Amino acid sequence: MISLSHYLRIWLASARYSLIRATMFRGDLFIWSSVELFWISVNVIMIDVIYSHTATVAHWTKYEMLLLVGTSMLIQRFLMAFFWSGIFEMGRNVRSGLFDFVLAQPGDPLFMASTRKLELDGLLNSVVAGGLVIYSAGRLGLHPGAADIALYACMVACGVVIHYSALVLAMSLAFWITSSQGVEGSYFTLMEFSRLPREAFKGVASVVFVWVLPVVVVSNAPARSILHGFEPLWALGLCGATLAWFALAVFVFRMGLRRYTSASS
Amino acid sequence: MIKYGHAFVIGLQSNLVYRWNYAVRSLFWFCHLLVVFILWGAAYAGNPSIGGFSFPRTLTYFVVVFVMQFFVGAFNEDYLISEDIRNGLINQFLLKPINYFAYRLSVFSAARVVSGAFGILSLAVALPFFIAHMDVPHEGWRIALGVPAMALTAMIQFSMAYCFGMLAFWFLEIQGFVILSMAVETLLGGQIVPLDLLPRSVFNVVRFTPFFYQAYFPAAILTRAPAGREGIEFALHGLAIEAIWAFLLVCLAEAVWRRGLRRHTAAGG
Repeated sequence: MISLSHYLRIWLASARYSLIRATMFRGDLFIWSSVELFWISVNVIMIDVIYSHTATVAHWTKYEMLLLVGTSMLIQRFLMAFFWSGIFEMGRNVRSGLFDFVLAQPGDPLFMASTRKLELDGLLNSVVAGGLVIYSAGRLGLHPGAADIALYACMVACGVVIHYSALVLAMSLAFWITSSQGVEGSYFTLMEFSRLPREAFKGVASVVFVWVLPVVVVSNAPARSILHGFEPLWALGLCGATLAWFALAVFVFRMGLRRYTSASS
Repeated sequence: MIKYGHAFVIGLQSNLVYRWNYAVRSLFWFCHLLVVFILWGAAYAGNPSIGGFSFPRTLTYFVVVFVMQFFVGAFNEDYLISEDIRNGLINQFLLKPINYFAYRLSVFSAARVVSGAFGILSLAVALPFFIAHMDVPHEGWRIALGVPAMALTAMIQFSMAYCFGMLAFWFLEIQGFVILSMAVETLLGGQIVPLDLLPRSVFNVVRFTPFFYQAYFPAAILTRAPAGREGIEFALHGLAIEAIWAFLLVCLAEAVWRRGLRRHTAAGG
């Protein structure tokens, strides 16, 4: 049984390698940091434009909405920083046969595939997204205590696990379809729902996106914990969704792995 | 022309191999439309008009913008071109009487025929859900001017993607530039919010940039823009500017190709 400390050592080695590599290609780091900053800005501008024409959206004011969007961005930036590159490459590697190298490594294939790279630009932009959350909370006159912040952090961590699971599920399609190119865009589309307040969902959309898919609870639960304090139902829903989606992602990945046939000679 | 016809047919075949990718994209296009429906539905609750737009007109605008992207969007042409350069695959084009721009345009057209078919399928699935909330104009001239506007939009999108792909002559990694420009194009192209909702001063600047013609302009013709921009004069004036941009970008693409070739070192077979 490979111990937890073994995985920690592997991850630290990968992180160290990624950081050295990032500082070697500083221009690239600057460009990718700008990319993410631009996308955060696009979302903020969208909110600003909409709220320049209306006072509330689904009873959420501008800064409440910015706090929600900031939370969603924060979760996504953490995903980008810790897991994105590895999982994204997984889709291509399955097609090309380079996934063999992952299978030959001393650890669980999913762990080895998804934690190969740490992206510094994602980490830098998580600071920007966090800043947006703090700015919005400030404009709303909120003063969360240490317990509220700890709860928020735990919920954001659950959100990262859910995003990770959704991405693994999407990229695992590479085991079945010819190419997973473009499928990552589907993940982004699905996660767009996480920037909407729960109150905006009605009827079937409410059932699908609030109760069946975790896309709304993933960002609304942490944002609400800052706005309204601890709400047991939301916390429970988030924990349940985290466990269920992570289990599903691991299951589908392992099913896909059985179909994998090396493409190399 | 026959050789480009063959390139088109090969492009059709290779894109049909990826039909499941298009099918998955189409499914998530539907989700994207749902996001718009939910967000703007909530924004319009209690507000019959936002910036001269009603909810049905906003929804119609986004449906047209999204469907149009299946027909005109240069999704990954920049990546394919950069890979050709990086892997030395353009060497074979340098030795043959083939214009690389025309070859890539043929493959791009084939890809858009396939993705356009999926766009129509997606629309057929989505329409029963959304048609009751839409406001589709019936003037014939909108189609007559909207279709050439879409063709010019395709040329603008392709030429820009081509130019970004050419950056591979100078840089090892170009995806950062591509996604950076995508953020700008998405916002200034009117894919996030209809450009009419931007402050007037910003709108007046954006309308003279190529981004304006990447999605907003043909969609505005086809769906009727708010008062002041709903008439045929706005469409004709815009078409003239769009044609100029398309021409300039094709010229730029050719200039970048020539410049890039000077730096290119063909190695290997």
